Amino acid sequence: MRNSQPESPVSSISTRLPGAHAALTQLFESLRPDLLRFAHWLARDRALAEDIVQESLLRAWRSRDALKEPGAARAWLLTIVRREHARLYERKRLELVPLEDVVDTQASPRLAEPDGDLFTLRHAIMRLPLEYREPLVLQILGGFSTEEIARELALSPTAVLTRLFRARNKLRVICGMAAAPDVVEGAP
Amino acid sequence: MRCEEARLQIGAEPASASPALEGHVQSCPPCREFRDEMRTLDANIRRAMEQPPQSAAAPATGGARTRARGPVVAWRQWALAASVTLATFAVLALWLLRPGESLARDVVAHVRDEPESWLAAQHVDAAGIDKALRGAGVELNITSDKITYAQSCWFRGHYVPHLVVQTARGPVTVLILRHEAVSRRHEFHEAGLTGVIVPDGTGSLALLARGSGNIDDIAGQMQQDVHWLPQGT
Repeated sequence: MRNSQPESPVSSISTRLPGAHAALTQLFESLRPDLLRFAHWLARDRALAEDIVQESLLRAWRSRDALKEPGAARAWLLTIVRREHARLYERKRLELVPLEDVVDTQASPRLAEPDGDLFTLRHAIMRLPLEYREPLVLQILGGFSTEEIARELALSPTAVLTRLFRARNKLRVICGMAAAPDVVEGAP
Repeated sequence: MRCEEARLQIGAEPASASPALEGHVQSCPPCREFRDEMRTLDANIRRAMEQPPQSAAAPATGGARTRARGPVVAWRQWALAASVTLATFAVLALWLLRPGESLARDVVAHVRDEPESWLAAQHVDAAGIDKALRGAGVELNITSDKITYAQSCWFRGHYVPHLVVQTARGPVTVLILRHEAVSRRHEFHEAGLTGVIVPDGTGSLALLARGSGNIDDIAGQMQQDVHWLPQGT
């Protein structure tokens, strides 16, 4: 799928272009671990996350003129990664199998590990439906505000609050706490 | 502010502290308790998400192929996997109880997280190896038919190549650690496992094998087979 693309778009570009371009390349490269982690939590698959980040960096490079402030690069790139994931998800959704089929068979031996609680929580986060996982990942890893998430997901801020509430409420139950009474989506 | 509004706000943004919310939780012990719980939970969520989901996030497209196999074959595979996994956990747990160098501990912990890597029997094709090496800044001389596992793994803040190489003394795990410089060779012989970390290039190579024999020859071979590319290539 990626045969026609360079192994590392950022690195390849840096060898061709001097000066400011090299600085931008370095900036992108420094953010790559964050982007990979972000993509990984969205896609739940390492190889897919790498593809997403690779494609996102290519897209980012092509539209680099849109980046006015280096300080905005992280949020800008994360947004591109999210959209690339959304595109890939749309293309691949028919090939997906339920994560439970895989996770359930792998989870039990690990629950006895010293970090079993965190392991359980990681699995619980992965098993969240995308509509809940996505705003949570944007908030926790991306550092986006509720309003920013609402803009990115084309939702109302109240709908985002509801989804974040439900995401944490589900994780709360997994962690052995009582579920809080649900809220009505769209209600204040 | 009503309790329902307060709990929606707390559940969505546990760290938020608007004047209205503060006023409510000061006068409502159940909501205050709920906020304390949610802040604790949120701290754990952040800790959990500091690392990528690791190998437990199985390939999204691989399940159908697995499920298409016969039940007996599947049962045998899982039984074998469970046995090896349990044995690996037991051995590694014993090793982890001993004090050791932190990088070695992390190498062991990482292998513990991917016990299936020891089970792989079929060689990884060249594309799979290239994918594992992507962005790591290394090339390999080794022929692909010796490599039965190749992944790019999250390790100490970076994606690193994680290989299992079939050798005369069985499978050997190799982690190529560009970002982990060590000043000298560090060897382990613990609880039936042998590990060695050797300086190489600008970083190091970590090797781990079952048994108590010396794996310096394999480490030496890997040092010859791994070619470090200049940074940024």
